[in-house]
Amino acid sequence: MDAALHTDQHLHGNGHAHRESFLRHYVFSTDHKMIAKQFMFTAIFFLFVGGAFALFIRWQLAYPGEPIPLIGTLLPSTWVNADGAVTAEWYTQLLTMHGSIMIFAVIIPLLVGTFGNFAIPLMIGADDMAFPFLNMVSFWLFPLAGVIMMAGFFMEGGMAASGWTAYPPLSAIASPGQTLWIVALFLIGFSSILGAVNYITTVLNMRAPGMKLFDMPMTVWAVFVTAIIITIGTPVLASALAMLFMDNFLHTSFFLPENLVVATRDMSRTAGGGQPLLWQHLFWFYSHPAVYIMILPGMGVVSDVLSTFARKPLYGYKAMVFALAAIALLGILVWGHHMFQSGMNPLLGTTFMVSTMVIAVPSAIKTFNWLGTMWRGKMEFTVPMLNAVAFVSMFVIGGLSGIFMASTPVDVFIHDTYFIVGHIHYVLFGGSLFAIFAGLHYWFPKMSGRMFSDRLGKWHFWITFVTFNGTFFPMHILGVGGMMRRIYDPTVYDFLKPLQPMNEFITINAIILGFAQILLVYNFIHSWYRGRPAKRNPWRANTLEWVAPSPPPHGNFDMPIHVYRGPYEYSSPASVQDYLPQTVSPDELAEQRARHEQRLARQNENSRPVETAL
Amino acid sequence: MLDWLPENVSVFGEGVDHLFSLIYYISVAIFILVNAIYIAFILRYRRKRKGERAHYYHGNNLLEFSWTALPFALFLFLAFYSDGVWEDIKYTEKTPNPDLVVEVMGQTYLWHFRYPGSDGIFGRRDVQFMSTTNPFGIDPGDPNGKDDYTSINTMNIPVNKTVLVHLSSMDVIHSFFLPNMRVKQDAVPGQWVDVWFNSIKTGKYEIACAELCGSGHYLMRAVLNVLPQAEFDHWVDEQYGNALAALHASTAPASSATTAVTPAASTTGETNQ
Repeated sequence: MDAALHTDQHLHGNGHAHRESFLRHYVFSTDHKMIAKQFMFTAIFFLFVGGAFALFIRWQLAYPGEPIPLIGTLLPSTWVNADGAVTAEWYTQLLTMHGSIMIFAVIIPLLVGTFGNFAIPLMIGADDMAFPFLNMVSFWLFPLAGVIMMAGFFMEGGMAASGWTAYPPLSAIASPGQTLWIVALFLIGFSSILGAVNYITTVLNMRAPGMKLFDMPMTVWAVFVTAIIITIGTPVLASALAMLFMDNFLHTSFFLPENLVVATRDMSRTAGGGQPLLWQHLFWFYSHPAVYIMILPGMGVVSDVLSTFARKPLYGYKAMVFALAAIALLGILVWGHHMFQSGMNPLLGTTFMVSTMVIAVPSAIKTFNWLGTMWRGKMEFTVPMLNAVAFVSMFVIGGLSGIFMASTPVDVFIHDTYFIVGHIHYVLFGGSLFAIFAGLHYWFPKMSGRMFSDRLGKWHFWITFVTFNGTFFPMHILGVGGMMRRIYDPTVYDFLKPLQPMNEFITINAIILGFAQILLVYNFIHSWYRGRPAKRNPWRANTLEWVAPSPPPHGNFDMPIHVYRGPYEYSSPASVQDYLPQTVSPDELAEQRARHEQRLARQNENSRPVETAL
Repeated sequence: MLDWLPENVSVFGEGVDHLFSLIYYISVAIFILVNAIYIAFILRYRRKRKGERAHYYHGNNLLEFSWTALPFALFLFLAFYSDGVWEDIKYTEKTPNPDLVVEVMGQTYLWHFRYPGSDGIFGRRDVQFMSTTNPFGIDPGDPNGKDDYTSINTMNIPVNKTVLVHLSSMDVIHSFFLPNMRVKQDAVPGQWVDVWFNSIKTGKYEIACAELCGSGHYLMRAVLNVLPQAEFDHWVDEQYGNALAALHASTAPASSATTAVTPAASTTGETNQ
């Protein structure tokens, strides 16, 4: 990071270089780029925590009751039994925390926090976010929430253990760890809303002169639309969390019916009369759109990466923007498809099936447009491009497996089975996480001022890609076999016993997949200090961030920015190169062309004698 | 992949499996089509020399329209086609007249089953009476309930008969999952949901809980015995006898043959297998 700091001050273009204290620069920074890095490092830390939890889960499912190798006996006695095997209590905590951490502390902070913060001001030619202080608060709520969520470890009963969906009454009569989970999620929601308000304001007010809304890159559009979804959905989650908190503490009964027979808790002061399904409606009203919060920015990043490395304009730019808006709009009308078997009126099942089928359409539009972007392109398979290409293919699988559960009768069987687990991981890992890998590599040179190791990046990609499919594709088969989610030991059931070899296969892949992520971190840390210095525009891309120095100084740009065209003018015949940055003015372009023609003419003159001689 | 499905023995299961395979073949076809194009593009449209230019092209409205309209038509078709089966399975007004009604109550981590006894009428229940010893909240004062009998973790039903299940839970949400019957329905406390099925084959099948209900979730397993009618009748007589015997034993001093079933009696008369 020292190197980054030095180059930072060297390249301070506007000439008002100022020294900031360590605390102001690295900890309580209001610079959007530093906040993006803070989001990134914190989220990657949590990626490893959530990943380790997943591996414990996988170990138990493949080898039920067998001690965890090497570290089993070192783990605390509240987690493992005397032999070092995962206990059922810890298993339920693991699956709850794996889901919660990966969604709220990894995917959302990486896509919205990191890319939103890093890319938006740079891509629209602004010097920072609209509300830098709000931005700092938005970041600091997030590690605080992460710590609170994990602090259940020190409480009696351990961490939250009612699944990341926290369905009451289970979550309303739970251990203190559940309360910490509620508080943590509330804070993360708050952080999201602060970030979203900031993104919306920044995009609407701080675009560089000349930049119309339809001159914005897809990444900016996607985070902008995501921010709108966040401001609509998150307050609903917050209110639901507040109610759940009160049900836990103040003996209210928003979600608790009359006379629950519960051994673990005195229910005599709880009047009852509440509805457990109310939570599910409120929770999914946020958490279904949250699925789009976790995929839309990824779609934006992938659109930019594909277009850049195919050297070709994004196919159907406006259709892509409208598809984003359609997904955002329809995304708040489909929450009921998580509740087909919940006891909700089956008539609503029909309604939500239709809206869910319809939302597949904009996703199809996006996929076909990505294919169109690649058609007759000149693709360069750099590390970001490989990850982006994988995203599209994996997203197709995740989308297609979604049709099964959209069809209500099929969902009767596959609901709450591993088919769902396979589906969600194809969308959130095969989709979001590959988009994150694409984006992290794509902007790494801009963020650090150095290039990452291409060879390590490719190794990381291929191992991840192969073992990802080895891990999550067979989960669909487990689901077809009927294996339920969140069970500690599948061998309890006779009908699941034939699936056990599949469980072992998945676990072996998952272990390799988990350890392969060390390559990513090693590559990033090593390259951050030792990498080859990056040029301003190493990918020969059009968007504004590549006009700024690498890494951009405080204030971002060392020249005034004016935008003359859209972001996807690759291989334009108007340009002498195969790209045409948004900032090149028509005069400058004419000049370039004139120079280019002169050069061509000179070359022709020089080569003529040779021709005649031949 | 569909070979992995557990054997279907349910009347409506065929409709579910038919839809499952229809969607499976459609999505495999789309997957192969999209990925074939994708891989062809990846192989064909690579940059081979420096300075090579791609085709400068921004898109085509006719294509955009067609790849909006076609998926739209396909997905709407799937929605309406699926809805027929869905209505048959879940809509109350389409439920066939039941031959047997069973009440099912989820409790962490077991399943209670309650049969209406020889009069075919369940005794009145009230949530006020619900307790660990009276999971259904049976009203001890209601004479209709005196011949009701219950069992834990074993459900016996006759083959080829429509069974209607009244489903609820006494603590947290559970999910009543019968893989071979293609039945899954959440059991929600404070709410009774109806779910029906009709088994076309005798045998012993498994009942699972499919909704996380605590750390013992995986242990919440019950057995479904689909019996020939005669065997089922025999079992019913036995249960009825047991229920009455238990009743007499616990209420002997009262000396009346028609004493109400006490909550304790109704659960001690259970069968455990």
